[in-house]
Amino acid sequence: MIEFDRVSLALGSFRLKEISLTIGRGDYYFIVGPSGAGKTVLLETIAGLHRPESGRVLLRDEEITTLPPEKRRVALVYQDYSLFPNMRVIDNVSYGLRVQGMRKKEARDEVVPLLERFGIAHLADRYPGTLSGGEQQRVSLARAIAVKPDILLLDEPLSALDPITQERFIGDLRRLHREDGLTIVQVSHSRREAHLLATRMAVIIDGYLVDEGKAGVVLNTPRSRDVATFVGIENILDGTVTANEDGHATVDAGGRTFEAMTDAAPGEEVSLCIRADDIILAVDGDRHSSARNTMTGTVVSVVENGPVAEVKVDAGVVLTAVLTRRSVRDLLLVAGTAVTLSIKATAIHVIRASS
Amino acid sequence: MDMKTQTRSTDPLPADGEPVAATRWKRERERYTDWCTLGFCILGGLLVGITVLALANITMAELADPAHLIKIATSSTVIESILLTFGAGASAVLLLIVFGTPLAYILARSRPSRFKGVVESIIDIPLILPHTVAGLLVYLLFMRRGWLGAPLSDIGLAFEDALPGTIVAMLFVASPFYINSMREGFEKVPVHLENVARTLGAGTFTMFRTVSLPLSLRHMYSGAILAWGRAIGEFAGVIMIAYYPFIISTLIYYSFTTDGIRASRSIAFTVILVSFGVFYLLRRMTRHLGRYDDRV
Repeated sequence: MIEFDRVSLALGSFRLKEISLTIGRGDYYFIVGPSGAGKTVLLETIAGLHRPESGRVLLRDEEITTLPPEKRRVALVYQDYSLFPNMRVIDNVSYGLRVQGMRKKEARDEVVPLLERFGIAHLADRYPGTLSGGEQQRVSLARAIAVKPDILLLDEPLSALDPITQERFIGDLRRLHREDGLTIVQVSHSRREAHLLATRMAVIIDGYLVDEGKAGVVLNTPRSRDVATFVGIENILDGTVTANEDGHATVDAGGRTFEAMTDAAPGEEVSLCIRADDIILAVDGDRHSSARNTMTGTVVSVVENGPVAEVKVDAGVVLTAVLTRRSVRDLLLVAGTAVTLSIKATAIHVIRASS
Repeated sequence: MDMKTQTRSTDPLPADGEPVAATRWKRERERYTDWCTLGFCILGGLLVGITVLALANITMAELADPAHLIKIATSSTVIESILLTFGAGASAVLLLIVFGTPLAYILARSRPSRFKGVVESIIDIPLILPHTVAGLLVYLLFMRRGWLGAPLSDIGLAFEDALPGTIVAMLFVASPFYINSMREGFEKVPVHLENVARTLGAGTFTMFRTVSLPLSLRHMYSGAILAWGRAIGEFAGVIMIAYYPFIISTLIYYSFTTDGIRASRSIAFTVILVSFGVFYLLRRMTRHLGRYDDRV
C-alpha cells in the first residue's frame, strides 16, 4: 500500500538513512526503536510532513514523495493528543470534515455516531482542557477516524495513559484494525504493545532501519544483536561455534556449551538469543528430557511481577527464566535453590556476527 | 479521640463568634512580614507614584479652570487632531496586521539561521534608533525625490506633509511591537497541532486560518494595541515627513511654542483622558478574546 524506497532525509543534525519498507493494506505496522532513533520523523514522513532528500515514497504504486499531507488520506494521532484547545470536542472531531468542505451542522451530525462509539458523546460540548488523558486520547482517535483515512498513524498513543485506560485503548485499536480493516502504523518502544497488536514491524536505530518483517519473526528471531537487545530478548550470550553437523551446532558461550540450530561454521562468532519463557526449570535433579541443553544451576533471585515471576539462575552464566507464580510456589524456588535448566536447541535463535 | 483532635474539631467560639484557631492564625499572619514582597512593593510603588504624581499635577491644574479646559477640549482643531491621530494610528496597525502577520509567522516557524538573525535585527531597528533618525529614514525614502516617494508621487500618492506620510512614519516606528508580539504568539502554538490539521485535510492557509491564527489571537490584540499606542504617541518620527496635518503630538508642541503652557496643557489633559478611556475600553472588550484552556 505504502512503500519507502531508499528514503533519506535530514532534520538539523538528525538523519534518516536509506529507509526501505513496505506497509501493506490492512497491516498493523509497528515502528519501534529507542528514543531519538527517528521513529516519529519516519511517521511524519509517511504523513508527508517532511520531504525526503532522496528516495521515493509510493502509495498504491503511485509516487507521492512530494504530495502534501492534506492530499494523502492519512490521519495522525500524537502522543500528546494535540487537540485544538480553542474548539469543543465535537468541533475537534468534525474539524477534518469541515476543512474538507462540509457544512458545520452536517459535519457535527456526521461525527455523532463516532462520539457514541468511543464513549465520548457526553463530552461533545466540553473543551479539551477539561478532559482526562484517556478522554483526550479517545477524542483524538475519533477525530482521526472521522476523515475516513486510508492509513492511521499513531505516535506512541499509549505511553501517557494509566494501565487501565491503556487496556481499554488497546481494545479500541484492535477493533479498528480487525473490524474496520484499517491500516495502522504505530510508533512505540513497547514490546508488549507490539506483541498484542502488530502484524508487521520495523526496528529503527540511529536513523537506520535495522530489521523489518512479520512481528513474530522480528520479535523472536531478530536479525542483529542490537535488535535482540531492543526487542527485549532476556538472554543474549556471545560465543563461538565449535562444531556443526548438518545445521546442528555446538556453541561455547559464557563458559558453557549450548546446542542450537544454525548454519554457522565452526570458528564463527555468534550470539545466542534465549527467550526467558523458553527456559524450563526443574528441581530434584531431573535431567531426563528431550531438550538438548540441560544444565544445573542455583537460583540467584526471584522477582514477582503480576501473575509471573522472573527467576535468575546462575548456571556458569546467569540466565533469566520466566515462570508462573504458581510454578515458583510449587517448586519452592527461593534464592539458593538448586535447579536444572532445560532449553530446546530449536528455542535458541542464533545471530551470526557476520549478518 | 485524643485531645489534639478534639481541640481541632470543636474549635470553641469566643464571645464575638470567631473560632479560636482562626483568630490565632490571623494573629500569626499579622505578626509575619514578608520583607522581600514589601520591598518589591515599595520599589514598584515609587515608579507608579511618579506617574500618579504627574497625572495628579496636571489634573489639579486643569480642574482649577474647567471652563478653559472644556473650551479647548471641544475646539474643532483638537477634536480633528485627535481623530486624525487615532485614525492614522489605526491605519498603520491595519497595514501591520496585513503585512506583519505573515512575516511573524514565517519567523516563528523558520529554523534559526544567520539570515533569520539579520531579518530579526532589521525588524528591531526602529526600537534602537533615536526617533528623529527613524523620521529621517522615512523622510529620505518617501520624500518627493525619494526612492519610493518619487514613483508614488507620480501616481498621485504624496507623503510630504500629507496623511500617508504620517501613517508610514507611524507604521515604521510601531512595526517591531506588533511583529515581535505576533511572532511570540505563533511560537507558542505547538507544531503538532498544525501537523494534525494538515493530515486532517487542511491546506497550509486553511491550517493557518483555523489553527495558528485563532490560537495567537491574544498576541495579535496585545501587539496591535501596543503598536497603536506607540503610533499615536509618535512625534519626532512623524514631523520629519509630515509636520502637517497636525497629529496630536505636533499640535501640543505647536501650541506650547505659540500659545504657551496653559493651552498645551489643556490639550495634553484632553488627550490623556481620551487615550485612557479608549485603551481601557479596548482592554475590556478584548479581555475574553482569544483565551483558551491550554492545559491540553
